[in-house]
Amino acid sequence: MNKISHRAYFALILACVLLLGAVAFTGRYFAQADQWVGHSGNMHIYDNSGNLDVNLSIRDRDGTMLYSTQDGRTFADDSETRKAVLHLTGDRNGNIPSILLDEYGGDLIGYNKLTGLHGTVAQEGDEILTVSAEVQRAALSALGDYAGAVGVYNYKTGEILCAVSTPTFDPDNVPEIEGNPAYEGVYVNRFLQSTYTPGSIFKLVTTVAAIEQLPDWDSRTWTCEGSCKIGNDTVYCHGYHGTVTMEEALAHSCNVAYAQIAAELGEDVLKQYVSQLGICDRLSFDGYRTRAGSFTLEDSPDFDVGWAGIGQHDDLINPCQYMTFMGAIANGGEAASPYLVKQVTSNDKTTYQAKTTMLEETINARTARKLRDMMRNNVQTMYGAITLDLPVCAKSGTAEVSADGSVTNATFAGFIDDEDYPLAFVVVVENGGSGSETAAPIANTVLWECIDVLDAE
Amino acid sequence: MYLLQTLQEFGRFLRDSEWLVNACCTVLRFVFPVLALWILVRCISSLLRFRKEPEIWGWLTLPDGTLLPVTHWENLIGRANSCDIVVDYPTLSKSHAVLTRYDDGSWSISDIGGRGGVAVNGKSESFCAINFGDVISLGGVEMSLEPVTQEDREEGYLERTKAGRRVRPAPTLLLLTLFQLLTAFELGLNIDLQGVGTVLLDFAALIALEWLLFFGLKALRRSGYEIETMAFFLITIGFATISSGNPGLLTKQLICVVIGIVIYLILGWLLRDLERAKKFRYVAAVGGIGLLLATIVFGTEIYGAKNWIFIGGFSIQPSELAKLCFIFVGASTMDRIVTKRNLISFIAYSAVVCLLLALMSDFGTALVFFTAFLVIAFLRSGSFAAVSLIVTATGFAGSLLLSVKPYIKRRFEAWGHAWDYAQTSGYQQVCAMMCIASGGLFGLGLGNGWLKYVAASDTDLVFAFVSEEWGLLVALMMVVCIAAIAFFVVRSASVARSSFYTIGACAAATILVVQTILNVFGTVDLLPLTGVTFPFVSNGGSSMLASWGLLAFIKAADTRQNASFAVRLSREGEEIHE
Repeated sequence: MNKISHRAYFALILACVLLLGAVAFTGRYFAQADQWVGHSGNMHIYDNSGNLDVNLSIRDRDGTMLYSTQDGRTFADDSETRKAVLHLTGDRNGNIPSILLDEYGGDLIGYNKLTGLHGTVAQEGDEILTVSAEVQRAALSALGDYAGAVGVYNYKTGEILCAVSTPTFDPDNVPEIEGNPAYEGVYVNRFLQSTYTPGSIFKLVTTVAAIEQLPDWDSRTWTCEGSCKIGNDTVYCHGYHGTVTMEEALAHSCNVAYAQIAAELGEDVLKQYVSQLGICDRLSFDGYRTRAGSFTLEDSPDFDVGWAGIGQHDDLINPCQYMTFMGAIANGGEAASPYLVKQVTSNDKTTYQAKTTMLEETINARTARKLRDMMRNNVQTMYGAITLDLPVCAKSGTAEVSADGSVTNATFAGFIDDEDYPLAFVVVVENGGSGSETAAPIANTVLWECIDVLDAE
Repeated sequence: MYLLQTLQEFGRFLRDSEWLVNACCTVLRFVFPVLALWILVRCISSLLRFRKEPEIWGWLTLPDGTLLPVTHWENLIGRANSCDIVVDYPTLSKSHAVLTRYDDGSWSISDIGGRGGVAVNGKSESFCAINFGDVISLGGVEMSLEPVTQEDREEGYLERTKAGRRVRPAPTLLLLTLFQLLTAFELGLNIDLQGVGTVLLDFAALIALEWLLFFGLKALRRSGYEIETMAFFLITIGFATISSGNPGLLTKQLICVVIGIVIYLILGWLLRDLERAKKFRYVAAVGGIGLLLATIVFGTEIYGAKNWIFIGGFSIQPSELAKLCFIFVGASTMDRIVTKRNLISFIAYSAVVCLLLALMSDFGTALVFFTAFLVIAFLRSGSFAAVSLIVTATGFAGSLLLSVKPYIKRRFEAWGHAWDYAQTSGYQQVCAMMCIASGGLFGLGLGNGWLKYVAASDTDLVFAFVSEEWGLLVALMMVVCIAAIAFFVVRSASVARSSFYTIGACAAATILVVQTILNVFGTVDLLPLTGVTFPFVSNGGSSMLASWGLLAFIKAADTRQNASFAVRLSREGEEIHE
């Protein structure tokens, strides 16, 4: 009998599984119940025809109504605003989900995890975003017919002022999308949910590694004769830069110099910095999870390493994540985590208030300062398109996305080094040609608008 | 008559005043969890804090005059520390013999391959009935069995915790009755008027039933009523969900509770006599296969599983009752376990059951049987290796099945991603989680739920149903109830009289736990939804009958003094005064 009764403890394993599972579920309940409750099938908050009993609205930072659940779904008053914020509000058919509303569904209706929906359902729920409708419209107009993304955020607080993705459409006047190449991938939020070949803006990552790993980096020079051999392949430059310092190489975006620097640093060092700076990581905020980037070197030949170090090879970055890298350089090595939702109120009672948190990935403050100076030099010497009377620091890129180099994405990323306008930005223009020619003017326009908006506040 | 009319008028008055209804519900949603917790704490503390003092059935005297207590009906004697009676003489084997007591008080000894054999009164025996005073020689060591004296008995009686002495069962049952009255009251306020009469009557009948059983057992001088109280607690919550969703079915459920209790009493009576129970195993073996065969031949397919038989307007699920038969077949006494180490006949039986279940293609039920099989196999063999081997083999077979039959795989596609399949295969789970969230910790009030409009909400999704109307706290307490029963079973296993009872009780508790795991975790998308019922709570007659049957096995292993009607008193008929 002794033996048998000892064996009986086997039956306890299952009872423990039951209890542990119950605990796990309870944990999940406290983490997610406010999202579950907002499900559109919930008849406690939706009426029989699928309309909310509660009136929920999304507003921009100035209070402009962008989306409301009144009378089914109501969008902003003018078509340009509707188009400019479409990827944040979602469309009428759910092809673009309303993630920001779903994420804060519980807060909007005044839901509380302890007492449930019992007697607490609100009449009005307002979600105030950090974006500005004016900036959104300016960015949309600056992008014109190009597909791409523009993002601007305050690297000290984390507020995203601009998050535009094109192509877009007017949800109140839906065009023929199926089969129309102009609307390819229109349902994707390119700023948050897509990745791009970065091109030369990635040289900033290589520069961070070089500043920290090459002891004599600021006294060394590299020679560019239009091309150079690395391993058995040839890297071509877009010009003939002669003998250059690293600062000059960055300003001229010299591929020959940077491919040599990258090859010298080697695969392991580059990978370590990509991981340390979080370049390919995902960001999670307000219900969004940004798409992960990629940096895939695995015992690769030096040519590939060099090519990857200048933002080609298989490199992919997410625009929003890269924007926070700019923020980190700007803010002395540490950037705020970006967010889109500033405040949620339910029946005029605040149920959610965004808080500034800092991202874990940091850059050494000295490195950040050096890099800032180099990026400032870029703007002063190379980017005439930037007309702002503020210390803008930036890097452009022209990312080859077709094998023959005929299709290029224009990229431009940087920040304003100013206490009153602490803004980091990223611009990606698909098939846009040169970064400094196409993307830089867009950044310039959007930043002007941002400064107007901040001045007005 | 006048009183009834006054009550009716009062009820209408209450219902008509929205303010009063709201006020009552607002108060009650906090009262219910408190009452439920109080009831459970009383039951569970009584079950888990009793003193594990063994019963003493005889004494074994060794050559040096030492007296060793014989504390079970089946005792392994040998040199090893894991034996029940450790006789540390070098000539004995580690496991030498099994000393067995029978219902009628007679004893036997069987040789299980000990070095030097077994001799009784000088004659070498492999199996032999013995009397008190006989000289038993194990490997040359002579000993004899002595009876317990009246003094021993009285001492033991005083030492052993009498069930229900520390935590009296009657006040607990009174609390439960209050809980039920308040439940019926709130339902009366909230549900459609036409159902109110039935609901109130059925709740009254349930209360009468639990007190009747209580006094009936009391008349048999049995006072352990914690497990029954917990069962009635779960039934009450089940009744409330049926009243909220489908009051027309409540009377049927009540009738099934009555039949369930009858089954519980009959099984308990069968089990209290070990010889009778052992003989019944053969009937059960045939019966179990018969029930499953009948399902396959006469059954009707619902939701892809052939699990139901319709007879004259009634539908029954014979596989539920087959579980009870399966436990009977799996349970075994010590002498058999030790002498016939192999499990071949039980494995063969299980294989047949498995095949029949596969033909029914009811995945959930098959899983319940499989886990019960594992626990029984482990209790009997004690071999982790064997059990792991079985699990691995089954895992392979399962994955093979998945690759051969893609439609089975499709049923699991939503598992863990219910929200991505919110409109299709994940619909039920999504509704369930949404309703759990809506209910919060304290619920929206009985009868105020919305989940009742979703298919199978009072069976497969009952955890969410309860969570929505009663709140997550009460729903979690249902889970704790089941887990507590399992903990009690394992705790009392060490003082059970026969391994037959230990195995039976462990298997029964396992089935209760596994059903709860599959039901609850299926509802909340931690596991695939398999349509297994929550014991005592889910709406369904067959499940109710089976749940009561399982309780009988658990009661048969409850050897606390005067606890269980399914256990004979140490000396039947003899009054021992305190």
